[in-house]
Amino acid sequence: MNGRTEGPLFAREEQQLVEGLLAGNEDAVRTLYARFARPIFTMGLRLLGSAEAAEELTQDVFLTAWRKAARFDSARGRLSTWLMTIAHNLAVDRLRRETGVTRPTLVLVDEVPEVAGASEEEPLIERDAAIRALESLSRAERTLLARAYFGGLTAREIAEADGIPLGTVKTRLRTALIKVRRANQGKERP
Amino acid sequence: MNCVAVREELPEFAVGVLATRDRVAVERHLQWCSGCRKEAAELGEAAATFALALAPAPLPDDLGERVVARIHEAAGKPGSRRRLRTAAAVAVAAMVAVAGLGWGAVMAGRAERFAERAAQAERQRAAALEQFQGVLRILPFQAAATETHLGQLAPTLALGRGGGAVLQLVSPTQLDFVIVIVNGLPRNPALRPFRIALRNDAGREIGAGTIAELDADGGAEVFRQFVNTDLTGFTTVLVRDVSGQVVLEGTIDQRSSPA
Repeated sequence: MNGRTEGPLFAREEQQLVEGLLAGNEDAVRTLYARFARPIFTMGLRLLGSAEAAEELTQDVFLTAWRKAARFDSARGRLSTWLMTIAHNLAVDRLRRETGVTRPTLVLVDEVPEVAGASEEEPLIERDAAIRALESLSRAERTLLARAYFGGLTAREIAEADGIPLGTVKTRLRTALIKVRRANQGKERP
Repeated sequence: MNCVAVREELPEFAVGVLATRDRVAVERHLQWCSGCRKEAAELGEAAATFALALAPAPLPDDLGERVVARIHEAAGKPGSRRRLRTAAAVAVAAMVAVAGLGWGAVMAGRAERFAERAAQAERQRAAALEQFQGVLRILPFQAAATETHLGQLAPTLALGRGGGAVLQLVSPTQLDFVIVIVNGLPRNPALRPFRIALRNDAGREIGAGTIAELDADGGAEVFRQFVNTDLTGFTTVLVRDVSGQVVLEGTIDQRSSPA
């Protein structure tokens, strides 16, 4: 079992960690937690608005990952992406359930991740790479993605709010995501 | 939904804002379309990058222990039946990951290229069996005499969707067991419970489990241990809905084994 909590993971290591999680291996759970709990908890805070809700989300994410572990395939995607997608889906589902609306509440546009200020007292393994990838976006593109990803606005809602064609919003969303994807491709895991 | 329509939806799918009905339609398409699935994965990775870039908040001190405790409770105590089940599921996870068994293009029923895809699936299955040996060492009941067999489940015309994978261990001296993983089944409660049966050439059937609940992907795992039943010859796997209609069907190849 790989217990490294620093440095990028090989695909095989990610697969082993998930297999360890599925088996209930405590070392695997602790390693996954050490690597990914902070961004999951942070997303919970941003989307759900309270530490209590973020704590519940973090526990639910790891439990859901355990339940779905048999379907994780490291050849198809990174572990961080898989976990953050689970976290985002659970948070959005919770907001929809609690508010009875089809999208979560908006966060302030000022909370869009900044490309500067990557240094933290305890830097996250994935964060520096993510920030570098977002450097490929303009401020307007980051804001657009934030309105959708954190604010839950659909392309149609953004188009109506900004008075621009729906197709334009969809194209801009796609373009922004592709830019990040290309930036990520330059930093593929080992 | 065709590929053009799906790809138009993928950016919103990636950032999680599609309405439930559209999301389900996209997910259904992704189950069999590898091209769209690849693009969805790439856009999803880009969206997750956005979340990973947030300035991290400090974690509560005891949250890690609570996470470990919940997983520990869910997985079961060492030596327990539940832990045995999860250990077996690890083996299946490796099988699915290596072989790509289950919900791939082979199951889409596209007849024009079926032979080619079937051949590809056979190569993947052989590779899975080979790599399976290492994973099987973690199983507490693994023994030299145990034979391991794999199979795929494909949708019947009655349903036309979903798929699955089957792992079967057959041992003359130890307990036999079977694990079935399904995915992509309709979540309509009126169809449940689904019942899984194993059938031999003589037409005798034995139950291998019941699926009462499905997750959001229409998926579930079923495990059954057989104390007094030898599974040799039980090579046909049937998944029926509550009315008895067969919705998934497959064959386990008992001729080859990595053990």
